[in-house]
Amino acid sequence: MGCFANAGRLLALIGVVGLVAARAEPNPPEFSDRERAHWAFQTVRQPSVPSMRDKWIRNPVDSFILAAQKAQHISPNPPTDKVTLVRRATLDLTGLPPTPGEVDAFLADRQPKAFDRVVDRLLSSPQYGERWARHWLDLARYAESEGFKADETRPNAWRYRDYVIKAFNDDKPYDRFVQEQIAGDELWPENPEARIATAFNRHYPDESNARNLMQRRQEILNDITDTVGGVFSGLTYACARCHDHKFDPIRQVDYYRLQAFFANTAADDNIPLTPSAALTEHQLRLAGWEVKTRDLRAEMEEIEAPKRNDIIKDYAEKYPEEIQTALNKPASARTAFEAQMVAKAKLYLDPSSHQYIASTKAVAAALKGDTRKHWDELNKQLQTYAPLHPGNLPLGTGVVDLGTEAPKTFLLGRGNWDSRQQEVAPGLLSILDPKPATITMPANVRSTGRRSALAMLLTDPENPLTARVMVNRIWHHHFGRGIVATPSDFGFKGERPTHPALLDWLAGEFVRSGWSIKAMHRLIMTSSTYEQVATHFETAARIDPENKLLWHFPRQRLEGEVIRDSALAVAGRLNVQMSGPSIFPELPAGMESRGGWPVNHDSLDRDRRSIYVFVRRNTRYPMFDTFDMPDTHESCARRNVTTSPLQALTLLNSAQMLDLAQSFAGRVFREAGSDRNRQIIEAYRIAFARSPSKSETAMLNDFFQRQDKILRERAEAGERLAQPSAVTAPVDPVHAAVLVDLCHTLMNSNEFVYRN
Amino acid sequence: MNDFQQIHSRRKFLAQAGAGFGALAFGSMLGRDGFTARAANVAINPLQPLASRPPHHSARAKSVIWLFMEGGPSHLDLFDPKPALDRLAGQPMPESFGKPITAMGTAGNTIMPTKRQWKQHGQSGIWISDWYPHIAKHADDLAILRSCWADGLNHVGSVCQMNTGDILAGRPAIGAWTTYGLGSANDNLPSFVILTDEAEVNGGPKNWSSGFLPATFQGTMFRRDGTPIFHLSPPGVVSDRQQRSKLDLLNALNRHYALDKSEDTELAARLNSYELAYRMQTAAPEAVDLARETEATRNLYGLDDKLTAKFGGNCLLARRLVERGVRFVQCYCGSGSAWDAHSDIEGNHSKWCKISDRPIAGLLADLNSRGLLDSTLVVWGGEFGRTPFNEKGNGRDHNPWGFTTWMAGGGVKAGTVVGATDEIGLRAVQDRAHVHDIHATILHLMGLDHAALTYLHNGRDERATINGGEVIKPLLS
Repeated sequence: MGCFANAGRLLALIGVVGLVAARAEPNPPEFSDRERAHWAFQTVRQPSVPSMRDKWIRNPVDSFILAAQKAQHISPNPPTDKVTLVRRATLDLTGLPPTPGEVDAFLADRQPKAFDRVVDRLLSSPQYGERWARHWLDLARYAESEGFKADETRPNAWRYRDYVIKAFNDDKPYDRFVQEQIAGDELWPENPEARIATAFNRHYPDESNARNLMQRRQEILNDITDTVGGVFSGLTYACARCHDHKFDPIRQVDYYRLQAFFANTAADDNIPLTPSAALTEHQLRLAGWEVKTRDLRAEMEEIEAPKRNDIIKDYAEKYPEEIQTALNKPASARTAFEAQMVAKAKLYLDPSSHQYIASTKAVAAALKGDTRKHWDELNKQLQTYAPLHPGNLPLGTGVVDLGTEAPKTFLLGRGNWDSRQQEVAPGLLSILDPKPATITMPANVRSTGRRSALAMLLTDPENPLTARVMVNRIWHHHFGRGIVATPSDFGFKGERPTHPALLDWLAGEFVRSGWSIKAMHRLIMTSSTYEQVATHFETAARIDPENKLLWHFPRQRLEGEVIRDSALAVAGRLNVQMSGPSIFPELPAGMESRGGWPVNHDSLDRDRRSIYVFVRRNTRYPMFDTFDMPDTHESCARRNVTTSPLQALTLLNSAQMLDLAQSFAGRVFREAGSDRNRQIIEAYRIAFARSPSKSETAMLNDFFQRQDKILRERAEAGERLAQPSAVTAPVDPVHAAVLVDLCHTLMNSNEFVYRN
Repeated sequence: MNDFQQIHSRRKFLAQAGAGFGALAFGSMLGRDGFTARAANVAINPLQPLASRPPHHSARAKSVIWLFMEGGPSHLDLFDPKPALDRLAGQPMPESFGKPITAMGTAGNTIMPTKRQWKQHGQSGIWISDWYPHIAKHADDLAILRSCWADGLNHVGSVCQMNTGDILAGRPAIGAWTTYGLGSANDNLPSFVILTDEAEVNGGPKNWSSGFLPATFQGTMFRRDGTPIFHLSPPGVVSDRQQRSKLDLLNALNRHYALDKSEDTELAARLNSYELAYRMQTAAPEAVDLARETEATRNLYGLDDKLTAKFGGNCLLARRLVERGVRFVQCYCGSGSAWDAHSDIEGNHSKWCKISDRPIAGLLADLNSRGLLDSTLVVWGGEFGRTPFNEKGNGRDHNPWGFTTWMAGGGVKAGTVVGATDEIGLRAVQDRAHVHDIHATILHLMGLDHAALTYLHNGRDERATINGGEVIKPLLS
């Protein structure tokens, strides 16, 4: 790679204040020929599309795929039927099953390129962003709480989730998407969206009760380094934290070179999001409230002050000496490292922080007896002025640099925070460019400019990793397996690309398309490769048992989120309202959640899509947890797909699933009435987008007879039966309950939870 | 080598499935793309990921019951007598010990002696304080490890490390590694069970997470109120017969769906999982039904005393689970940090020792009389110990540099003391045993080699002991 065209663009973007001259490392690491020859570090080639003539080929993707198959004497599968295809594509792009109407429209469209139009329709639906944002949130280890012991809520973390959804829906160019997440605050300080994007590096788990902030800072930096290295470059940097990477040409110094870009970075939980006109209005109202309540508040503050001081003193005194010293210095006298320590401590000691330990609530809780009574009276009076208060301003959360000077970064012996060795300057992987990065201080924001430099290095079209890694992620989600099967490990321990030329061709197309993710979806999905049936053939299986050559479409189990969303959709209950603070659907009765889980009262709110379900780090929503939702403590590029009895119990026995089955049955009833054959047809249409076969109809009729008998007996014994929801027509309660059982069973079936 | 190469006809597929796991000697697989096959280095039957698997070497213990005294019990007042504390009482810690960073910034405080009476017990003459009179009667069953050390300062990180090996959350729990390595030894219950008695464990479910291992291997918390497992019983409006009939329909639908997909083991595994879930609905309530025990047994565990009934009930439940083939029971005493005696250690520990003493002694006696102690490894300990210097005059701060854990039962050298802390019990100095060593030892006794049980994750062949871990040989019989 070497020279980076983006350096010039960076200067244009942020203006030049001062350039830190690049100086050579004293001893740049040495690399073997084998290391230098590793495929992932080679410049992306511009391979020519294999020249083959075959009517199976619809676009260049197919040419690459077919060429590889031919070399192994394998033939591709024929296209799948239209119903399966539209269900596949809809689940793939929106995470929802197609509606019967959408299926009918596609079946009726006999013009050429009918499927292309389906893909376009899906890509322009807002549900697309909700589906694909979830993939990105897995990578970003996104959660809305701190983790560790108290697992406190991060009140504005959800704005990042909305940012990602919007970015996908807007088809934000991927280079810009990366730049905003790495350095939005430096590059576009006036743009709230870009600043919210920096929350990518704010999603680290954190311990509000930590004493050794020096160690805590290092752990946070490690988290950021591991995540950035894995997500944008597809490399397992983490393996080089304590020693040189055992397999890949990532030297230990490279770990700290990447980390140094973040040396001056700290949390920023107070990003203003209010336009200036509204801000003026807000300040006016606030000033009015302040004047009216001044005396009252002064009196309360007088009562609170001693307790508040106690709480703060007790907290601060538990810090090691060097941190207490830093806290007691005037800001101007602090070193850059001390400023880091203070910024961290201020999350708990600054009244403007949502984690402030001496909040009014905390102080009031410590007041006793008459003092408390008096305070309560004053507080009651204060509350009468509440209507005058303008409320809290909306804030965003992200990261910033603490000024223009960064603390030094050191290589750490065995990765220990206190084993400082040589000083390290920010830089890319030495094997790509051993020189330190050129850092340009931004003109209009007090920041080091380090992250801007990294953002530009990562999104330089010459960077051999960034585009390859992202197109591979897109491919991975379409086919359940990337061209490189280890999407965040392009190193020696990772899988080799099954189609290296295709990967390079796609990476090239990606950059040429203006880093358009939607263009990649179109390209991949309108190929014959994507349209193949999922059927297994023994002749091909013998040669390529893992289907690496993609001779059939790989069937995939749906994620827990998609299963829930699909169940809501077929129940006719899905509330498609987008964005905003997260929702809290019911937990199993008796389940605890430290940090809180205030269940939404209104079922409309609970019935929103799964991406809006609150992500509490220590208590993920149990259904998602059971279905392999990643842990959120580290980036996840590739979910496990496991099968367990707890999944079965959840889908079979949870009150929520039965409730949805009742709604599904109600919908069937409203469409089909009480005729059972029509019910079967309608239920299949809604759940599977197809008609039942004769043998299935026979099977279901058997079930009706058997279940009628069981439920008739139960009804006669006076037992309560689950009935379809929202049915006004008169129904036979036994028949109706049997329909609920049928709908419930369909939602448990393999066909429902697989994308075929 | 992969399943698809082996299984290419439905007939052969069924024949192999019927032949049980022993016949399936091919590479493991959970994911259909074969990736998990390469990530895992144990052979997992894709049809039944929880099927029992052979150990690396012959196992000394079939099950583990880990009695976790959460919050940090004081080794200095229970198992590690330090006469020097009396001599140095009221003085600051001698300078030679340095000034460690502690959780509460107490390292400058003065040394606090213990108020306990100490006696040697049993043939082995093991020192145990008067806070544990019932356990002391089993001194000759215990192997006391006085030289434990860990990396965390705070509860949440330390509890996490004792469970997962790392102070930062995200790694698989030791029980998950065990289940991954050995599969399950029963066919109707989870294999890794968590029991709590008070508040939520610090860090919650992170402590029994499967981390980067497949979720199949995560621990299941058994609750004492309502059904032991969430969603264990069908909603009230569904009868058992009705549900069985639904499941029969589900099986028929799934078989029909799989007619042209017979090579797909994942679909078959899903079918199996519903049957396992169905069996669990009956088996789990039976397993937790302590009323099935005799009064004598119940009393042995202290169920006749309000103070000990709750934790005693969990100890009895742990035995019932182990009897039913559960491999790993994490049984918390004082969950949510009840042992955390920053002040008034007298009051705090008097209470919690009383709560735990009879139940633990009862468990040891009961396991022994049923011949289960030989095959059950019992582990006692907290996430760390406590400091020799005082906090707030009458409490002790966290001490991860030196503390005591003991083991009893399967494969453990009974009636022995291993390792030592320094003169004041601040740091482990002799035969130092890190948490990773404890984990390596537990896996070893379960028949697993901690260095050989790996799972490829983000470019590393990860193992339970991260980079470290050595089996603590002197603990083994």
